[in-house]
Amino acid sequence: MSEQVFVQLRVGADSYALPVEAVIEVTMLEASTPLPGGPRELLGLQNLRGHALPVYDLGAYLGGDATPDAARMVVVSDGGRRAGFAIDAVTGVGPLPERTESEAGLFSGSTLDGDRLVGVLAVDRLFSELERASAR
Amino acid sequence: MSAIDAEFVEIFREEASGRLDAIVEILLDVERGGSPPDAVNALFREAHTLKGAAGMVGLESVQSVAHEMEDVLSDARAAGSSLPPELVEPLLRAVDAMRAGVVPANGEPARPAEQSASENGPRVRVPAAKVDRLLDLVGETMLHRRRLTHALGSERSDDPAVAALVAELDLGGPLLDELKDAAIGMRMLPLSSIVGSLRRAAREAARGAGKEIELVLAGADTELDRALLEELSDQLVHVLRNAIDHGIELPPERARAGKPPCGRIELTAVQREGVVEITISDDGRGVSPELLARAGDDTELADLLAAPGLSTASAVSDLSGRGVGLDAVKRYLESRRGRLAVGSTPGSGTRVTLALPLTLALLDVLLFRRGVNVFGLPLSSVEEALIVERRLTLAGSESIDVRGVAVPLVDVADLIGADAPASETTPPAILVSAGGKRLAVTCDRLLGEEDVVLKPLESPLANVRGYLGTAVLGDGEIALVLDPLELLRGADRPRRARPNAEPVQVTARSKVLVVEDSFTVRELQRSVLEAAGYEVATAENGRLALEHLDRDADVGLVVTDLEMPELNGLELTAAIRGNPARSSLPVVIITSLGAEDDRQRGIDAGADAYVVKSAYDQQALLATVGRLIGR
Repeated sequence: MSEQVFVQLRVGADSYALPVEAVIEVTMLEASTPLPGGPRELLGLQNLRGHALPVYDLGAYLGGDATPDAARMVVVSDGGRRAGFAIDAVTGVGPLPERTESEAGLFSGSTLDGDRLVGVLAVDRLFSELERASAR
Repeated sequence: MSAIDAEFVEIFREEASGRLDAIVEILLDVERGGSPPDAVNALFREAHTLKGAAGMVGLESVQSVAHEMEDVLSDARAAGSSLPPELVEPLLRAVDAMRAGVVPANGEPARPAEQSASENGPRVRVPAAKVDRLLDLVGETMLHRRRLTHALGSERSDDPAVAALVAELDLGGPLLDELKDAAIGMRMLPLSSIVGSLRRAAREAARGAGKEIELVLAGADTELDRALLEELSDQLVHVLRNAIDHGIELPPERARAGKPPCGRIELTAVQREGVVEITISDDGRGVSPELLARAGDDTELADLLAAPGLSTASAVSDLSGRGVGLDAVKRYLESRRGRLAVGSTPGSGTRVTLALPLTLALLDVLLFRRGVNVFGLPLSSVEEALIVERRLTLAGSESIDVRGVAVPLVDVADLIGADAPASETTPPAILVSAGGKRLAVTCDRLLGEEDVVLKPLESPLANVRGYLGTAVLGDGEIALVLDPLELLRGADRPRRARPNAEPVQVTARSKVLVVEDSFTVRELQRSVLEAAGYEVATAENGRLALEHLDRDADVGLVVTDLEMPELNGLELTAAIRGNPARSSLPVVIITSLGAEDDRQRGIDAGADAYVVKSAYDQQALLATVGRLIGR
């Protein structure tokens, strides 16, 4: 599986990776429209070419650092579901070093890149969790 | 078997196949241990619907299996238990038996004509998805036009190039509106296209129940979105069967009640403000007084009747006993942004109303701002816009006096949990009405009405409640379109006795009748005049204004637009002057036309004052009204 390509992200002090197939684009995070009654981690809705895209605080959602000053977002899709996640930066695109497969929570595995631990996100589970969170 | 029977069996075959698939899916889910909490209810509803439909097309073997299935599920439902896994296998076998009972197709089925006789000529059959795509594109084009308008700015420019662009854009407006209407029209079919199946269902049900009925139809030419119409047919059949089974009494009982032996059922369809309302009323026994007493209003009565397991019939008959029909009807309507209301007079009849939005993609909304958000409410749910001058407080909740009636008043931000600074002391408010309830919600500012392209919240936000969806506006801002029913429910929770709060005495004031065909301008004028202390009534055109004057003697002044459909401002003025009883009623004409001959024509017609809209400001209007009223 070392041929698989990932988009690597920095969110606060943490590093995450997403399969490149799931990433539609990386774009600027604009002032978004809050959605009263929506889930807590939802920053709001952003007009992405005429569509209201939900944008989430990924760091806070995963239990890491919240990213109030994030300037970018990564637009992710899984089947028909789409969402944006606030990030600080894209740190690289390419294969990951040897991964540890460990199905834990919203991660499908993790890998050590130099001295940084990179969490590989399980996109389908992430969306399912977000969906559940919105039913509150 | 007659041609029409064959056609119905064909339709049933398609429906049954889908429903049997759904049953199998749920059963397999139960077997896997992943039983959804609603499994028993869902299975019961499917079996119930199958039973009714099979009976209608005369497939008795399918009907009886479905009935047995219903009985088995009914026990589980009454016990409030989940489905015992050992029932899965026999139920699956029942599904197989029903599949075998549905006669296989032989050849192409005949299809009924889909257009009215007036639209003869060659026809093209197009997949519904293509028409939907067309409508989507029209919506996108309308958004594009709004962005262009926004980019050019609303002010008239001195630059001739910009002025030419604005003029060109103005020319495109009516074209785009026509395109939109044409695209929507392609999805519309008259209610009459399903009337045949309704009559047939009613006849079968009456025969099965040993009752006599007469079905009277009104408004069968009302058009509805095709997709809705097809689904609606099922729901109307449910309600008709309920009326026949539960409502209409047997001939001897009718005779004792002094009613004619033949029961009368009326099906009426009307369309107004983007909503179609279909009402089925019967002259039967009505619901019990006890049930009626438990329901505060028509929506609550519908909720009670739609509760799983409740029935108005004491005995479970072969037909739609158990009240299941209404449960399914209500769920369906809510999934299509519609609503159900039931009114009843014990002893003399029941009236069931199904209200549905005309199309799903485009919606006329009133836009308003609160805090950082722009919100929208469907115009069909907005009664009026007003300014809150005086708040009435009772037991910690506020209300506002609307022409002598206390209507609950709530800050929209409080209602939906939005983060917003405290609102000003005399904020604008929107009087929302839905499901028989009324509520005034306050906001920061009214932005006007707009025809928007509505997109429902999609996964991962599909479970967020309270919204019909979002709409992207011309300036790129996202408007959140609120669901009026949810809004009213939210307001209901902490306050129950509101609607019965004591009526408030209104001191006699000078009343102004505002006649104007634009909702926005009308409500703007209303808020200006109400803020100045006048009582205000409104009418959409001259004809309605004259009707209003006939029944309301309190009007002390008329403010009218010039250009209006049906009866324009000049004609209205002339009609008022021509009636000796009100020849001295002051009339103020307001119009965007500033030409001298219009002014002269206004004065010739007998207007007392003339305010040009482009120069129109609140003070000028108020000064004129103040000068003329009570003169």
